[in-house]
Parts: sequence; structure tokens; C-alpha cells
Amino acid sequence: MPYPTDETRWIDGDHDIASINDAIADTVQSPQHRRAWLRALAVAAVGLGALAVAVFGVFWWYIGVWGVDVPVMWGIAITNFVWWVGIAHAGTLISAILLLANQAWRRSINRFAEAMTLFAVACAAMFPLLHLGRPEFFYWLFPYPNTYGYWPQFLSPLAWDFFAVATYGTVSLVFWYIGLVPDLGTMRDRSTGLRARVYGVFALGWRGSARHWERHQTAYLMLAGLATTLVVSVHTIVSFDFAVAQLPGWHTTVFPPYFVAGAIFSGFAMVLTFLIPVRAWLGLKDFVTIRHLDHCAKLMLTAGLVVAYGYLAELFFGWYSGDPHERSLIASHLHGRSAPLFWTIIALNVVLPQSLWWRRARRHIAWLFVLSIAINLGMWLERWLIVISSLEHGLLPTTGGAYFPTFWDWLTLAGTLGFFAFFMLLFIRYVPVIAMSELRELVAHRRPEAP
Amino acid sequence: MAQLFRPSADRRVRLVLWGLPVGLSLVGGVGYALSRSGWSTGAGRAVEQPVPFSHEHHVGGVGLDCRYCHETAERAAFAGVPATETCMHCHAHLFPDSDLLAPVRDSWSTDRPIRWQRVHDLPDFVFFDHSIHIHAGVGCETCHGRVDRMPRIRQFADLSMKWCLECHRDPTPHLRPPDAVFVMGWRPDPDAAPVSHDVDARTSCSECHR
Amino acid sequence: MNGLRGLLAEFAAGDEVLAAARAARLAGYVALEVYSPCPVEGVAEVLAFRTRLPRVTFVAGLLGGAAIFLFQVWVHAIEWHLNIGGRRALAAPAFIVPTFEITILSAALLTAFAMLWRNGLPRLHHPLFAVPAFARASQDRFFLFIGAGDPRFHAGHVRAFLESLAPLEVHDVPR
Repeated sequence: MPYPTDETRWIDGDHDIASINDAIADTVQSPQHRRAWLRALAVAAVGLGALAVAVFGVFWWYIGVWGVDVPVMWGIAITNFVWWVGIAHAGTLISAILLLANQAWRRSINRFAEAMTLFAVACAAMFPLLHLGRPEFFYWLFPYPNTYGYWPQFLSPLAWDFFAVATYGTVSLVFWYIGLVPDLGTMRDRSTGLRARVYGVFALGWRGSARHWERHQTAYLMLAGLATTLVVSVHTIVSFDFAVAQLPGWHTTVFPPYFVAGAIFSGFAMVLTFLIPVRAWLGLKDFVTIRHLDHCAKLMLTAGLVVAYGYLAELFFGWYSGDPHERSLIASHLHGRSAPLFWTIIALNVVLPQSLWWRRARRHIAWLFVLSIAINLGMWLERWLIVISSLEHGLLPTTGGAYFPTFWDWLTLAGTLGFFAFFMLLFIRYVPVIAMSELRELVAHRRPEAP
Repeated sequence: MAQLFRPSADRRVRLVLWGLPVGLSLVGGVGYALSRSGWSTGAGRAVEQPVPFSHEHHVGGVGLDCRYCHETAERAAFAGVPATETCMHCHAHLFPDSDLLAPVRDSWSTDRPIRWQRVHDLPDFVFFDHSIHIHAGVGCETCHGRVDRMPRIRQFADLSMKWCLECHRDPTPHLRPPDAVFVMGWRPDPDAAPVSHDVDARTSCSECHR
Repeated sequence: MNGLRGLLAEFAAGDEVLAAARAARLAGYVALEVYSPCPVEGVAEVLAFRTRLPRVTFVAGLLGGAAIFLFQVWVHAIEWHLNIGGRRALAAPAFIVPTFEITILSAALLTAFAMLWRNGLPRLHHPLFAVPAFARASQDRFFLFIGAGDPRFHAGHVRAFLESLAPLEVHDVPR
């Protein structure tokens, strides 16, 4: 595919093809901060252990250990599910949509963001499966010839959800791996001994012939086109879980675009939360420049404005419907029971991101980092408002209820955070975090200057 | 770069790549067969009973009607297992000293029921009414098999939901005229006009999962 | 044949290998291949190579989508029509989501598999890997390969031809 040659502006410093290889492969081959990495991994491993305990608890006592009960049958497990799936979206947007849009700056962050997608989808998928009540029967969601003589209920949004998330996870993995194969070849050829053999097996014998590349690039472009549809479809289908139901606070036509924008919003927030420390830690500031962060911030602002529109539309249509139940839920959000939550969300997701209109804020690393965490939190709370506050509200004063997450709820959430951090740490230690072959392409046509 | 892998590595890779789908379909096929075999469903399985009661002798030989022992079969959700008194109607006089019947006499004298073990046991989340099936014209034999040929009673059908549905979707071929319901080995008369059954077998979820 | 699989000329930049490939093509060689650490724009045209992978994507997506759509029709309209909220048996709008998802899934998986299959991967052992310099084909060097299978292949002539293209070095690829 043709790329303008002046795209080298996305690399700072005086790099040629060899120095790009060295800088990126060194993060794997002769990493700095080994001890700090080990310490971080140990902390994440504790989180992973917590997840094992939490999952064991749910299998042993079933979801009674969670704080869910009538009328709040969906607790923070579903909040977490929606949040994690959302986080995954930025990776797919960066790698797929920006590829189709011919954006060279994606090359420095796509590998990293795609890895986040993978692990975030894995975290997300755990929640609905554990929430089944009998999680050991999760395979009933899959259409297979069983002795009951029945099939999954294809008319149900919950079955759609299974198809959407399963497809998303699989396609993300394939996309990520196909993009990774040439770099694994590089790692194979730079390593020795057992490491070379391990990389060699995963590189599948990649030789980089012109025919290899032609098919590889075509397949990659095809996969990008397919994944692009997933960026907009997955959270749309997640939103159907709610929008198809009749509950005030759920039954809104604005939900699909609003969820997709929210997903991209929180996804970019999570990308920044991880990218800012990692680029410093691995010494990759030449490739992940301040201009990359600036671009991420702009996209985040854009998505944030769509989310703000979603909030407005929800309020407006709730009021405009004239339905007393819808109106009472809005009153609750504006100046009732859920008002503290609602206004916190507005502050975190709508007010604070407006700072990104200013270039200084977009290039202020500390502010970006703080803001990204604020948005992560704000988006989690937003899913709480949607999932839980709507259920708590009830259509009659007598049908309302209160929900409080239990120890096991929090342990599961903390566990998935540990899971995510654990695998991200393994990823940055053993896999080149930037697509070397894609960066090489930016400078490859030039002959390196003689030393 | 020297060769990292010998040519045999590629043979091994091919073995794995072909072995995976073949192995997985094998596992799937075996699982599919097992899930339908008696090992999993219990079809054909006999259960250890406190008394080695022979249906072959009592039904096939003596000619007792099913309802003599399973007396609520036509009237209740549960067909019923016989009370000790039912056994003692005859066995107070026939073979009163047989060792095989000792548990029955114990039950009679101590006034404690015999612990018959259930053979056709449906899951607890299924609502099943025995009487409606009898009245609709489902023969005993249809679900329980030729008990007149079973020295030890065995589970006849696999009792899977699929099996229930097979009949519920199209009951007519499985139904008999009322006077043939309790008959073992009944065959429809090929010359007789087919009986029309006014049966409304339903397949909605809540019909059985109430 | 003298136990050679072909000759490999090593270059330092993509533009150089592209020019070399063009020259080899003009000189009438056909058993050509270029090895590079990243895609080199234009080299596939020089080698007159086109891939038909997009057709695989299209057909796989079409078949996968059709299969799952018909499957849903069979399940809900033929096998067992459950009356849910009065929806009709063939509730096509509700079938769209799984149809869409399986279309994407089958297209993506088959594209990826077809790419690997047509590339002859995985292939861990390959004669090229025996050339020590070839390790840089995945890093920072670009190679033009002329195979012994070429009807005009003669080791001495080909070596002289490759040397005339001003490469960094010319390597023998043993059989």
C-alpha cells in the first residue's frame, strides 16, 4: 500500500532501519528495569491469584456470593463486562480504522493497543460466563447437537452477545498474530539458543519474500476491513442487552452509538494510562512521541463529545417520552437518589476532557495521565449508573431495591485488573511492543548513511 | 544463520497441524457418542432392588395387569410403587417361606416400607404427569419397553429431552386405542382404519419446565 | 547443477533491491524472488505477482454468513418454532446479528489460514536459513534471489550479473 514518504516525521531522532530494530528489540533482548518489572509482575500475580480465588468462590457457591438479588439481578459483574469490552475497542480502532485511513502514526502504537484489546476482551468475557449462574455450562451457548434437542435462542440479545464477543476475541487474536509474524521472524534471527527456537516456532518460518509480503499485506488489509466493522458492531450488540429490554434507563435508541463512542472514549483513556508509563519505561519516546499522545487525546476528546451528546439525548428523550417512569428516573439522576453518581460522571467524562481543546493540555504528560485515569473511573461509574441505578429504581415505589457489591464482587474486579496487568507485563517483556516491520517501512527506501 | 530446525521439525509441525483437527473431531465424536450411550443416559441400566422382583414372571408368566401394582398410573402424576400389602395379597400364601421374600415379610412385620429403587427417574426440573400420558393413549410399553420380558427391570428409553420431544412433536405414531394401552407387544392392525387421536401435545418451554 | 539452489545478492535499501529486481527481469531471468525486512513498494509488480486472497475473504464471508443464516432459519422456523412475544417464525431481523458475526469470523479466519497456506507456512526448515547473511533479511538487508530453476541459470553468468548490480555481497545458497 502506498504511504507518503514524509511519514518519517512520526519518528523522532536520527533513526535508520538498523537503529529502529535495535531500539525496539532491545526492550525484549536486553531489557532495563528487570527488578522493577519483576516486582510489578509479582503484584499483578497477586491480582491473578485473587481472580482464581474469586472464580473458585463463584463456582463453589454460585452467584449468590455476589450482591445480586431481585430487583438488581445484574450487579457490577455486568458493569465490569461492559467496561472491559469498551476498553478493548481503542486497540481495534487504532489498528484497523487508522490502517484503512492510511494514518502512519498508528504504526507506533497499534501492536501495543491490540494486545490491550486481547487481554481486555478476555477479562470482559469472564463476567457474563461467571454470571450464567451455572458457569460450568457455558458451552450451552454454543450451537452443538445436544441431547436436549434444542439450540441457542438466536432471537435473544444475550445469544448475540456471545457471538459478538467470541468473534471479537478470535478476530483480534488473529489480527494481532498475523501482524506479529514478521517481527517474530526478526526476533528469531536476533536471538540464540532456546529463545531463537521458541521465536522460530511462532514465526512459522517467515522469510519475508516478496510473495510472502504481498499476501501478508493483502491479508492484513482484509483483516483490517473486517475488524473495522467490529469496532462499531461489538459495543452496539452489547448495548442491545439493555436497549432491547423495556426498562426505563435501558430502552433507548441512542444506546448503540452512545455505547460505541463510550467504548472508544474509555479505550483511549486506557491506552494512555498504559502507554505513558510504558514508553518512558522501555525508552521508546522516539517512536511514541508526544505527537502520538496528542493524537490519542484528540480522538479521546472527539469520542467524549459523542458520549456527552449521548447523555443529553438520554435525558431529553426520557423527558420527551412523557412516560412518568422515564421522567422519574431522570429526576433521580438530576436531583434524586442517583444524582451524586450522575454529576460525578458528568464532571469526569464531560467537564474534565474539555481541557483537551488546548494543545498545552494535550501535550502535558502528567495531566494526560491523570485525566486518563479519571475517564477510566468515570466510564466505570457510567456503566454502574446504566446497569445498576436503572434496576434499583423500579417502576413502583415498592419494586425498587438497593444493591451493594460484596467482597466477592470487588475481588473479581480486582482479579481481572490483576489478570490484565499480568499479561500486559508479560507482553512488554517478551514481544516487541512496536511493530518493527511497519516502522522499518517508513525508512526502508533510504540507504543508511555510512558510519 | 545456521539452521535452527532440522527438516524433521517440519514433519512434526505438520503432524501437530493435522493432528489437532483430527484429534479434536475424534474427541468431539466420542463425546457425542458417549452423551447418547446408555453409559451416560442410563438407558438399559438395571438398578439393584431390595427384592429381586421379576416383571417377566409376574407380567409375562402370571399375567398381572400393570395397574395391579402401579395403581395410580391412570389417576396421578406418579404411577406409584406397590405397598407391601400388595405383595402380601399373594405372598402371604404363595412361597411364604422363600428366602427371596424375606425383606417383604420384614417390611410387613416391622411396618416399614420396602425401599424400592426408582428406575425411570426424570430430572427434578421437569414436570411430568403420568396419568395424562396414559389417557392420551401412550402405551406403557412405549416408554418402559417389554417389561414382560425383563427378569430385572431396566431403564428402557434414554429419557433425554430430545426423546420427549420426538413424541411431543408428532405423537400420533406412538399412540394406541384405550384398550391397548396396558397391553405388551401390541401391534396396530394393518387393516383397521387408523384411529384419530385428539391429542394436543405441546412443545412450549413451560409445558414441562414449570 | 553444482549443488546450488540459487544465488543471493545483498542490498542495503529497498530502492536498490527494487532496481536490481527490475534489471534482472529485463535481463530475462524469471526464477526471481526478493527478500526484505518490510514490504517494498512495487516489487510485486516487477515480479508480476498478484494475490487472489481478497476472493478468499469474499467467498468465505459469503458462505459463512449464508450458512449461519440458513441454520437459524432451520432452528427457528423449521426445527422448533417457539412463540416468543408473537414474533414470526422467520424473524429475519433478529438473525442479522449472528449472521454478521459469523460472516466476519469465517472471512477473517479463512483469510489468515489461506495467507499462511499459500505462503507455505509454517516451514521451519528452509535452505535459505543455511545462509548466514540471510538472518538480516528480517532486519535491515534486502536480498535478490535468482534460482537455479531458471532456464537461463548458469552459476558463473548469474554471479557476474548480480555483481554488476553493485550489491554489498553475493551469496551462494546451497541446495
